[in-house]
Formats: sequence, C-alpha cells, structure tokens
Amino acid sequence: MKATTDVMPANDASHQESLTPKRWLKELAAGERRRLTLATLAGLGVGLCTIVQMLLLAIIIDRLLTGAPEAPVGVLFVALIGVLGVRALAQWAQETTAQAASLAIRGRARAALLDHLTALGPVRLSSRHSAGLGSQLVEQVEALDGYFARFLPQLRLATALPLLIFAIVLGLDWLAAIFLLLAAPLIPLFMALVGMGAQRLNQAQFAAVTRLSGHFLDRVRGITTLQLFGRTATAAAEVFAAADDYRARSMKTLRIAFLSSAVLEFFASVAIAVIAIYVGFGLLGYITYGPSSSLTLFSGLTILLLAPEFFQPLRSLSQHYHDRAAALGAAEALVAILNETPPETFERRSADSGNNDALVRLSEACVEHAGRGQVLGPVSLEVSRGEVIALTGPSGAGKSTLLQLIAGFVAPSEGSAEVMSERRPAWMDQRPLVIQGTIADNLRLADTQASDERMQAALQRAGLAGLLSRLPEGLDTPVGERGAGLSGGQAQRLALARVFLSDAALVLLDEPTASLDEDSEAEVAASLARLVEEGRTLIIATHHPALMAMAHRVVRIQAGQQVEEATA
Amino acid sequence: MRILISELRPWLKLLARRRARMALGALLLALTVGAAIGLLALSGWFITATALTGAMLAAGMAASLEVYAPGGGIRFFAVLRTVARYLERVYNHDSVLRLLAELRSGMFAVLARLDARALGQRRASEWLNRLTADIDTLDSLYLRLLAPPLVALLAIALVSGLLGIFLLPAGLAVGAVLLALWAWLVIGQACLGMAASTRRVATLDHLRGRILETLQGLAELKSYGTLSQHRARIDADQAALYADQWQLGRVAALGNALVGLGVSLAAVLALWLAAEAYRAEALSGPLMVMMPLAVLAMGEALGALPASFTGLGATRAAARRLNALGRSRSVLSEPESPAVPVAGAPGVRLRNVTLTYPGALTPALDGLDLSLEPGERLALLGASGAGKSSVAALLVRLLDPDQGEVLRDDIPLVDVSLDELRTRTAYLTQHSELFDDSIAANLRLAQPEATEASLWHVLELVELADWARELAHGLETRVGEGGRQLSGGQARRLVLARVLLLDAPLVILDEPFAGLDRPMAARIAERLDTWLCGRTVLYLVHQLRHDGSDPPGILRSLTLRDGRLG
Repeated sequence: MKATTDVMPANDASHQESLTPKRWLKELAAGERRRLTLATLAGLGVGLCTIVQMLLLAIIIDRLLTGAPEAPVGVLFVALIGVLGVRALAQWAQETTAQAASLAIRGRARAALLDHLTALGPVRLSSRHSAGLGSQLVEQVEALDGYFARFLPQLRLATALPLLIFAIVLGLDWLAAIFLLLAAPLIPLFMALVGMGAQRLNQAQFAAVTRLSGHFLDRVRGITTLQLFGRTATAAAEVFAAADDYRARSMKTLRIAFLSSAVLEFFASVAIAVIAIYVGFGLLGYITYGPSSSLTLFSGLTILLLAPEFFQPLRSLSQHYHDRAAALGAAEALVAILNETPPETFERRSADSGNNDALVRLSEACVEHAGRGQVLGPVSLEVSRGEVIALTGPSGAGKSTLLQLIAGFVAPSEGSAEVMSERRPAWMDQRPLVIQGTIADNLRLADTQASDERMQAALQRAGLAGLLSRLPEGLDTPVGERGAGLSGGQAQRLALARVFLSDAALVLLDEPTASLDEDSEAEVAASLARLVEEGRTLIIATHHPALMAMAHRVVRIQAGQQVEEATA
Repeated sequence: MRILISELRPWLKLLARRRARMALGALLLALTVGAAIGLLALSGWFITATALTGAMLAAGMAASLEVYAPGGGIRFFAVLRTVARYLERVYNHDSVLRLLAELRSGMFAVLARLDARALGQRRASEWLNRLTADIDTLDSLYLRLLAPPLVALLAIALVSGLLGIFLLPAGLAVGAVLLALWAWLVIGQACLGMAASTRRVATLDHLRGRILETLQGLAELKSYGTLSQHRARIDADQAALYADQWQLGRVAALGNALVGLGVSLAAVLALWLAAEAYRAEALSGPLMVMMPLAVLAMGEALGALPASFTGLGATRAAARRLNALGRSRSVLSEPESPAVPVAGAPGVRLRNVTLTYPGALTPALDGLDLSLEPGERLALLGASGAGKSSVAALLVRLLDPDQGEVLRDDIPLVDVSLDELRTRTAYLTQHSELFDDSIAANLRLAQPEATEASLWHVLELVELADWARELAHGLETRVGEGGRQLSGGQARRLVLARVLLLDAPLVILDEPFAGLDRPMAARIAERLDTWLCGRTVLYLVHQLRHDGSDPPGILRSLTLRDGRLG
C-alpha cells in the first residue's frame, strides 16, 4: 500500500532581505521597463514635436512680417499640420503604452500577492481580517495605477524636456536663457515644496477623512438603534455638524497646501512675463546689453513660445505628485504582506505503510508557529480506517493545529505525520466556502467533473434535498456573494455535500457546527453519520455533545498536549 | 441622454440650491483661463509690435510705441493668473466640502427611513463603505463635470469674440472648430466611456468577492486540489476589469490627443486666416500674431474635459445606486393622518403575516398569526433564523410585512406615525449597539431630557451603578467605538438600562440576559419583574431552561420554526 509522508526541504526564506515599499515599486517598474521606456520616449516625442511646432510658428510669422511679400509659407503650413498630427499620435502612444504597462504591473502585483497569501496558507491567514485583505488586494493594488501610468514617465520627462528647451533658448539668446536658469535652481525647491505640500496634505486629509468617516459610519451602523428611539433627525443634524467641522478644519490645511503650487505657478507666470517684456524691449533697442541687439522677431517669438513649455512638464509632474504618495501608501501595506515568511512547505511523498488498517499516523509530532514557539506536541495518534475521532479541549489548545497538521497545511517541526492515502483529506470548518455562482459551481469545487445526478445525490445525503426541491432552477440556482440567500446551516450543508461528492477517505472537520443552532446542528450530525456509513474516516474538533456522541474515540487536547483519550 | 439627466437631476438640484456659490467658483475658474489667454495673446502682440517698431527705427524711420501699458498688462495677467488660480482652488474646495456635509446628512436622513430589509443586509459594513464612496463621487459632480465644460464654453466665446472683433471670419472659424472639439470632448468621450465606467464599481466588487472567497475558503480549496481552477476565475474577473480599464484608458488618451491636435489646428487656422488678412492689409502684424497665440492658450481650458467625461459613467452609477435607495420599497411610509394609540398596555396582533428577505430562498415568516393580550408576557421561542427578530421588527415597523397586517389595539401599525410608535415600544435587540460617546449620552438616546437621577436609577436596576460610580469620569466615561471599552456583559446591561429608561407600555426583550452569569441574571430578573408590571411584554428566547435564569413572569410560550408556529 502506498502512503504519503511529509518531508521538509531546507528552507532559506528567512535569509531573504525584507522588502521596502520603494524597492518593491522599483522592482515592479523593472518588470515593465520596455513599455515604460517606450512611454517616456513617446513623451519625449511629444515634447520635440511641440518645440518644432513653436519653431515653425515663429518661422511662418517671421516670414510673413519681415520676409518678402508673397514669400512662400504654404509648405510651412503643411509641415506644421504634419507635426501636429505626429504630436497627437505620440501623445496617444505615450498614454496608452503607460496605461498598458500599469495594467500589466497591477495584474502581476496582484498575482504575486495572491500567490504569497496562498503560500501563507489557511493557518496564517486565519489570524488576518479577510475583509481587510480583500480591500488591500483590490483597492490598494489599484492605487498603484497613477504612479506607473503617469508619475514615472512624467518624472523622466520633467528633467529631459526643460533641459532641451533651455539649450535651444541658450542658442537663441543667452540672456533670456539666464532668466530661465534663474528659475531653474528654484525648480528643486518647487519640487520639494510641492512634494512636502502634497504629502502633508495627504496625511492631514487622510487623518481627517478617517475621523469623519468613523463618525459617519458609527452613526450609520447604529441606525437601527437610532430608529428605535426615534432619534434619527438629531443624528442627521450631528452628521452635518461633523462634516461641516471637518470642512472648516481641512480648509485651514488646504489654504497652505495650495500655496506651494501657487508659488510654482507664480514663478512660471512671472518668468514668462519677464521674458516677454525683455524680448520686447530688446527688439525696440531699449536694451543694449549683451545679446539683446541681435534679437529678431523669429528668435524673440520662439523664446516666448517655448518659455511656457519649459515649465509645463514640471507643472504636470506636480499634478501627478499625489499619485506617488498614494502608491507609496499602498505599497507600504502590501509589502507588509509580502514580507511575511510563508510557513515551511513540504512535499507529500508516497511511502509504504506497514499497517494496512492505519490511515493517519502521528508519532511524537510537534508544530511550531513563527513567533509563538511550539503550539502543538508532541502528539502521537493512530487513526484506523472508518474510525470517528472527536478532538476536544479548550479553545486555543491546539485542536485546529492538529487538524491542520493532518491536512498538510503545516509541517511537523519534529516527529512525523503520515496519511496513508493518495487522496488529500477533505476539509470543513465553521465558515464554509460559498462562491459567487450556482449551486452546481459550488459543488464542482470538490469534483470538477461531477454529473448532475451525483450532485443531486450529494445534496440529498447532506440534507439539502428539501431545499433543492423548492428551487425552480435546481442546481443552476445562483447563490450570492458569500452565500447570500443561504442560511448558516444551509451553507454548512452545502459544504458537506462537497465532502460527499469528493472521494476523500479522510474528512477533517474543525468546529463544523460552532455557528449553528441546535436544529441545524442535529441535521449536520445526521449527515455526518451518513458519511460514516460510507466508510469514511472522520476527525472532528468539537465541543458539541451531539457530535461527540458519534465518536468512537474522544481525544482531549490541552495546551498543545494530548491529555487523555476515552473510548466512547 | 434624457435618462442620464433625469438620473443626475436630484443632484443637480442640490447644486442649484447653492447657485451663487457655484457661479462665483466658475467665475474664478474662468478668470484663471482668461488670464492665461490674455498673457499669451498680449505677449505675442507686444513682441511683434516691438519688433516691427524696432525694425522701422533701425531703418531710420520715425516710429514710436507706447510700451508701458502693454508691459503692465502682461505683468497684470501673470499675477492675475496665479492669484485667480489660488483663490479658485481654495473657494471651490470649500464648496465641495460644504456639499459633502449636505450630501452626507441628506443621505443619512434617507437611510433613517429605510427598513431592516435594506439595512440588515448580510454585508452591511461594506455596503455602507460603498455608500460613503458613492457620496464622495457625487460631491465632485460640480468640480469635475459641471464647472469645467461651462468655463470652457465661456473661454471659447471669449477667444472667438476677441478674434472676431478684429477679423470676423477668423473668430467664426475658430469658434466653430473649438465648439466641435468641445462637443466631442463632452458628448463623444462620455458615450465612448459610458458602458465601461458605469460597470467599474460592480466589476471591482465582483473581483473583491472572488478574492475574499478564495482567502476564506483556502483550506477547502487546497484540500480538494481545485485552487488553480478557482484562481482561473479570479484571473477572468480581473481580465474583465482590466479590459474595461484598457478601453477607458484608450478613450481618455484619444481625448487628450484630440485636445492638443484640435487646439493647435484652430491656432493654425487662425494664423492662416490672419495671414491672408494681413497680406490684404486688412489686419496689422501684431494682431495677426496675437490671434494664434490666444487660441493656443485654450489648451488649458479644455485639458481637463477628456478624463472627466470619459469617466462620467462612474458618477452616473453612483447617482443611480443612491437614487434607487431613496426610491426602494424599503422606504417606510408615514401615515397622512396618523392615528394616536391609547395609553396603557396595548394588545398586539399579527394577522397572516408573510415576510421574505431580499435574495432569500425561503420566506422568514410564512402566514404567521400571533396575538398578545394587554399586559400579557409571552415568550417566543425558536432557533436563530426561525423568525423571532422578524416578529419584533414588525412590531416597531423596522419592517413592513409583504402580506398580512400588524395591529396594535386594533389599529394597523402603518396608521401610526413612526416616531410615535417607536417611542411607545421598547425593543432590546439581540446586538448591544452602543455609540462612540459617553455612558450618559448613550442612555439619553432613549430620553434626551432624562435627569441624572433617572439615569442612576436605571443603572441601579441593571447593577451597573456601583461600577459607574467607581469610574473617574462617571457617567461621562466614553464607551469606545461600538462600546468596545466595556465587557460584553456590561454592554448588555447598559443597553438594557437604556431600554428601561424609555418607559414604554410595550416591551420586547431579545435574550435580555445573554452573557450574564446566572445569579446576576436572577437578581436583575427580580427587579425587572416589578418594573414590567402593567406592560405588555414579548420575550424572544432560544429556549426556556426552567432553572431560574429565564426572564420573569412568562405565562405562555410559543415556538417558531422556519417562520411558522410549531
């Protein structure tokens, strides 16, 4: 006979450096380097086309005003329209490529997180709030979008384009270039100002929004109580007062935060105005200093047209700065998940069993949990085929850990745990899995090929025949998200039907009736009895007398140790 | 289109109430755009004028140019742009936050009229988060969808007017091109993005649900070896979400590219027409240059439109959800001419009542008949889910039945005003619901004018008075979010005290002693027995134990099973 044994490979996970949010974002970006570079190049193309457009405009105007009458400008107009077309294409390419990169990155990040959470396994996940995890894997992964789709490409452009424009202006008139340069050292200052402003704004807003939402949700959650005491009108007034107070407070922060970007705008506007006036006075001949005397309508107009473009990439960047803050915030939470080391994994190997009757054999098995030390063991237990074992003991004693060990969700730190079956044990706990889909979809989780007849038979054995007969759509009846429409007992029996459908010889049940009332519990117990009739082996962690009465043996666990065993 | 407007109408009406504020905000926005147009246009005019004058001076011709007014004008526009932008941002954010306060309290008032069918949904807290997010989506209706297109129209009128003064054909042509562009950016973008952006929230919810079920059911999925098949479902959901996002991204990119192309083409057109006029000596050189530059500044006015209108569907979906809430059959009706119930212990009757919760496969109450005589104490027994709380909810109109009727002293409950009914019925619910406020404030929910002495009195009844006296802040001690600072037993007794403070002739107590030890339950039961004299009482209990821990004075008991009396 063949059996499976848990074998632990050496695990180096602990040697891995812990990931920081910034490094993670960088790694994610590296995975899409090609598209992100393409997006930046396309953005550079947009900038170049804009420069050419402005040059062409200046040349056309110069020809019209100072050239010979009837000087040919038609070809220049055609070239200008051509450049505009190319620019539009480049802009489209920049945005769509960056969007594609962002989508790919988010998909990959979510897959990596799911892989990691799956690797952490049911044991480690049980300590986390699953609704919180759900929103992290959806909302927070989505919050990475702006960083990759907008901020990163813009960050590179914000350095490259102003430099290019500066070089052109320098070639045309070095004094005008100096005006831009004077603004240039202020650029890092702007960046810092805008950055700090954005961050402070973000933090302050976040804290205030959380407080406000807390107040609102507190009132809304308790709305039944408010209804019962006829206090809803007062509460509505309170909600308004809280929101209005929030407005007054956050306006104080906002007034200051907006100042930093106003400063950026101010410098940009003033620089343009100064250059316009300088060029004008130079053209009039009022300025005799330096290169001013050689200013022409062409060079003057080009400088004037390019000056706003010098500041434009920076202004765009400052608009996308909150994308960065949002992504960093999300990355921090997500990296915390990735930094959690998965429990040691193991492969199940076939081994020959000496005893034909034993299905489960634990010898001196211990389990350690990271940070909590040894939580179970040493436990020795042998379970024969067809036996029903009840595990009892106070909560936290290690009953669930023992089941998880047998299920193979955790590896023994010492000793050995063997299950002499090629099929994995079936599992059921107090929160049965109900997926969005039909009843049949839910059943097929246990056996993807199950026929309608087999599913109906399984439902009947699980005590759901009555419900099924009342449903006009039968097996194709949709059940809502997380079992909406099913009572707790019905959901539990649906999970039981899956056990009937599977051909697992061993069934592990962790407090299967903990959240059920007595009637439902009795029905579940009756179904379990039918499982026993089929010759399956059951190990049930439970406190409930009805289930303990079914057991052939009762094993009591206390503080991780097996303290007594009674034969029922 | 008409449907869209009717969906947004209630929210637009709300904006209309602050018409002056919205108009001022839009004006500041327009001033910002106008200043940008002025800055570029005047600069172009100025440079050209100076160049031409300079050339004439250099050629030895007599020429002069007044430079100080245009120079001053340029500086003025530069400063105006910054100042107007700053003021606009501060003012409009203030408006949005004011709106948020109104939306939240308004929505709360709508929620307060909903029945337990809507409020008691399985995923209440997530549903509430969704609701809050929808309100936040709608508060930006003005700043994203209303003001920008209006200001853009204003700017188009300004630029084409400016051009038209000097050269009518240029004004008309540029106006026509920009108007067509505007129409595309608002209507075309909205149409292209509508379906995908309307679906967004639903698709996200679906994906979240899938991920949650995977994480919660990981043990089962692993043991059946079907985890990878299930992961394929997540991948499919994510693919659907991202197909929509890809579509929206491309549409928005198209719009952004069109803004750049359209505005530049309009500028080229203006230059072409102006050049023709210049050559025909119908237009001066500086004015010719001014024209394309003024048009180029329009990029700023139109730039925000593509992103906003591509995502119009998200706002529409939020409005739709909130509208549906206000119109749902879950809104409890108020009688037009309310009947006044008589004082004293009432008799209560449920006649052939049927009740089904949304999405439930079977009814919660199925043709139920039940009556309580005045002053009677009846225990309604049954497992959880048998329908006990539904009966209680019917008696205080947290719910109305789908069929049958509920009478109190032979008056149908729907004829009594909600506040009247509820202040005359004390209902201790299964969950001990407390607010993040002081002990006194939580008690005074039942009776806002209650004196300190009466608060202490009810606390004595539930044996909390000694504990409260020991507290540093006494009755002003805060209980924490959801009463988290209290133990389960203390919270239970505090909500019981609150129900006693209401002093109502009909009392419904759901497992009043849950979580209390037997001696304390017995002591409280004794005091309760006296207090309950002369009132009609309905107990909701799992089962009677007959060991002294049952609620006091039960004369009759009935058992509910699957929504019927068994």
